Amino acid sequence: MPITVSVKQLADGLTMRGFEVSAIDPAPVIPERPRNSEDAVLDLEITTNRPDCLSVIGIAREVSTLFGTELQIPALPAASSTSSADSLSVTVEDHAQDLCARYTASTGNVRVEPSPDWLSARLRAADVRPVNNVVDVTNYVLLELGHPMHAFDRDQLKGDEIRIRQARAGEIVKTLDDEDRALTDQMLVIADQVNAQAVAGIMGSAASEVTASTKRVTLESAYFTPRSIRRTSKELGLSTEASYRFERGADIEAPLGAMLRAQQLLIEIGACSSWSTIVDHYPAKHIQPSVSLRHARIKRVLGIDVEPSFVIKTLTQLGFNLATASQPDAPLEWNVTVPTHRVDVGREIDLIEEIARHYGYDRLPSTFPVLLSPPNPKSNYITQQQTVRHALTASGCSEAITYGFIEEIAGTAFLPEGENPVRVANPLSEKYDILRPSLLPGLVDSLIYNRRREHHDIRLFEIGHRFTANAGETAGVALVLTGSSRLEHWSNTERKTDLYDLIGIIDTLCDALGIVVTYAADTQPAFVPGQTSRISATSPAKPNKSVTLGYLGQLDQAFCRKRGLPAAGDDLYAAELDLGVAAAVATDRRRMIAQPLPRHPSVLRDIAIIIDAALPAATVRGTIRQAGPATLLSIREFDRYEGENVAAGCISLAFRLTFRASDRTLTDTEVQQSMDSIVEALQTTHDAVLR
Amino acid sequence: MSRSHTVDELRAAFTVALEAATSAEDLKNLRDQYLGRKRGAVQAILKSVADAPAEERRTLGKNANQLKQEIEQALESRRQSLEESHGPTGAIDVTLAGRPVKLGHRHPLTIIREEIEGIFAGLGFEILHGPEVEDDYHNFEALNMPPEHPARDMQDTLYLEQALPAKEGPAGTLLRTHTSGMQVRYMETHDPPVRIIAPGLVYRRDTPDQTHSPMFQQVEGLLVGDTVTMADLKGTLECFLRQLFEPDIEVMFRPSFFPYTEPSAEVFISCVFCSGDGCSVCKKTGWLEILGSGMVHPAVFEAVGYDPERYTGWAFGIGIDRIAILKYRVEDIRAFYDNDLRLLEQFSY
Repeated sequence: MPITVSVKQLADGLTMRGFEVSAIDPAPVIPERPRNSEDAVLDLEITTNRPDCLSVIGIAREVSTLFGTELQIPALPAASSTSSADSLSVTVEDHAQDLCARYTASTGNVRVEPSPDWLSARLRAADVRPVNNVVDVTNYVLLELGHPMHAFDRDQLKGDEIRIRQARAGEIVKTLDDEDRALTDQMLVIADQVNAQAVAGIMGSAASEVTASTKRVTLESAYFTPRSIRRTSKELGLSTEASYRFERGADIEAPLGAMLRAQQLLIEIGACSSWSTIVDHYPAKHIQPSVSLRHARIKRVLGIDVEPSFVIKTLTQLGFNLATASQPDAPLEWNVTVPTHRVDVGREIDLIEEIARHYGYDRLPSTFPVLLSPPNPKSNYITQQQTVRHALTASGCSEAITYGFIEEIAGTAFLPEGENPVRVANPLSEKYDILRPSLLPGLVDSLIYNRRREHHDIRLFEIGHRFTANAGETAGVALVLTGSSRLEHWSNTERKTDLYDLIGIIDTLCDALGIVVTYAADTQPAFVPGQTSRISATSPAKPNKSVTLGYLGQLDQAFCRKRGLPAAGDDLYAAELDLGVAAAVATDRRRMIAQPLPRHPSVLRDIAIIIDAALPAATVRGTIRQAGPATLLSIREFDRYEGENVAAGCISLAFRLTFRASDRTLTDTEVQQSMDSIVEALQTTHDAVLR
Repeated sequence: MSRSHTVDELRAAFTVALEAATSAEDLKNLRDQYLGRKRGAVQAILKSVADAPAEERRTLGKNANQLKQEIEQALESRRQSLEESHGPTGAIDVTLAGRPVKLGHRHPLTIIREEIEGIFAGLGFEILHGPEVEDDYHNFEALNMPPEHPARDMQDTLYLEQALPAKEGPAGTLLRTHTSGMQVRYMETHDPPVRIIAPGLVYRRDTPDQTHSPMFQQVEGLLVGDTVTMADLKGTLECFLRQLFEPDIEVMFRPSFFPYTEPSAEVFISCVFCSGDGCSVCKKTGWLEILGSGMVHPAVFEAVGYDPERYTGWAFGIGIDRIAILKYRVEDIRAFYDNDLRLLEQFSY
């Protein structure tokens, strides 16, 4: 079509209408074409919904709409004027009817030779390698009209029948790329009376390839169902220019035109002088869909009034046919007939998109939506995440994000008992073959990554999802610590991170979440026995039911070394908590009520006892709590000693007890009485000796 | 201290001792030494009054009591002056490093995500969360991508060997390729108007390289109502992008294709590196592709049971990693998942 714009203007115009021009290359020299300094080759990105634009004519139609010029389509002969005979018939077997709605074929005597220069130059400009005149013409038609064709060496087809059938299970075809393709009965083939000669719509067989010695050629121009082509192409791992177009949707009315065009071109370049009558198997003629378009709906979707004349002009140029369907005094509505090449258009919104594209997104106004409903409150999950993040960053831990998939050997050690890993069916590699059952493997790897890069004191945490076969997907938070407990300072003596650093952080975290936790010695596969604790909590609603929140402890050194921790690396301490369980047992801090400040002083009492070293502090605290009065506010260990003056196997544990009553000042006598019963309980329950 | 000390001698001794006292500790010792109930010197004199000869008794008692008061006053006034002066301590080096307090750092992707969430929360959007393992229906089919739809190729998917039970709905069979599933679930259970954003991790079967990661973060947004238009989409996204980047950036909308929106738009901002002049990051175009968006496809409304005649809506999806790359000029997307503290510690608490 005649247009007078610069290449840049053309490229910008196409880009702004949804056809991104990714490159503008200088035009090759094409013989028999006037040299034009403005010639260029445009590389276009075509979205999957527009197979009609995988052709010169499709893009030309867009350009003509864009610049308002008339589209000129090459004139075709009604049918081949001279005809040669071929008794070839076409049969579409019953089961193949759904997969091949149309099949045209025609045969001619040909002289196979290289294409004329203008033809091969044009193909090269489109990155298509010239082969011979017959193959080149089918490729040229594909580029020009967008319709894929195939050419068979007629003398290699056995018998006088083309059979379109499902492949036999186990049938093997050597395709043009010299690969043996094992087919399944879900795949469609074009066969002669004996063998499959093409994987329909994808690639021909090497046996009937058109070569220099070919004397007779049968051209195929057909329509194959997109789903079938797509499935076969995927299963065979074979994508071609033809399959790319068929699987996106070819034009069912195009096969005949493409056939005529190919015949015309082959005659024009002297490869052939006549063709047999075209066999056109097209049992159920396609009915062009029509869609109604309401003028008011355009404004409703786009937010702008578009003139009816613009709608009519644009859609008509794109090949749609508009008829006014509304009465003169009723809201304007059209009946729009959709051209068969527009496989993407089936409802009103598709037409509104066409109008928006050609109207120009840049001309749409920027408005702000009217909000008619109040906003919903922030979800507990979001609040919980923020709380966790604040508490842990405030505790000196930095946030990591690791992959959701890990290698199985890293995850097995963290699988809860009786659980199975969730395997990825098509992993990128063995390093990513299961979904993480725990956040710790990834976090440990990240810690080690840092440890190998001059970081010695590392504290990392991650909030994320975990996956196991029975429990499914759960949310969790995990942290790992190593190195110095305190940051380096000139006044400090170094102290390595130990279990109590970890417990302190978990206490802080749980306090922030409104959870009262208890710890109890336990074992976990990836943790050091004797240095591992279960983290439990009770919900305010069910104070008698304790649930497991997670685990903490020192990580097994052998595991850490296997993951790459240098031999000089310090011990790793790790914890992981289930955030779903945490949410269930947390006190809702937004509903808290502030307690009045104490009006009476508190009384402190210290007590040191000698007990069995194996006795957990939590048990002793429990005994004190039980023996103590309601006025016993807090129990805190402040000294732990073993060695001189304490018998072997025993420890001296000192507690600071705080007493306070809300309604009176406690008297010495009263507190002393409480202390006496506490001491008595400790003596009888634990054989404790007062120091 | 012996009983033979006279009141005057005690006073003189106390005055000397008080001079030497420099701390609260010293003052406490002095109080014990002179006024202590058991061993205090003044206390001892008071106790001895009874044994003293009758003619001395009155004077001695009076003088001792007076001394007691004097000492108490002197101790108190010294305590106050000590508190006020902080005592005569030596100078310390105020330029030595202070004792450090360690704050951890939020991940840069979290910082961006929370920033985006904050902007939309301010516009009244609810923030959703949902599962990463999705079923085919919520990830594809309900979004106008039936099986074997070519658009599924745009998002190469990771599948599970065995279906994973879900908290609600069908078992999950794949790792979500976008967070749209959450929006579908929300629409299935809520009537319009809808105003939500769905942030989260998504997965694609992409080999990690400088610009690809098989896992990344996304925020999707959805607005559905009686009068929502594409012009509203433009206005809202321009407002959002100018808050996220700079108030003066330019925003461009260009036609594109997504199965779940129509019309669809790719959104670009003027290049933040070269201000639109053209550089290697924007490939000399002056524009950076930032997000995908469009008007919700009526087929999606039909899938969730909304009347597509009555309701219109828009949706968008933005990759957080890409925003972080552009804002922080991190050159390799993999750096976000290495969790190198040398990178993480550059970001704010």
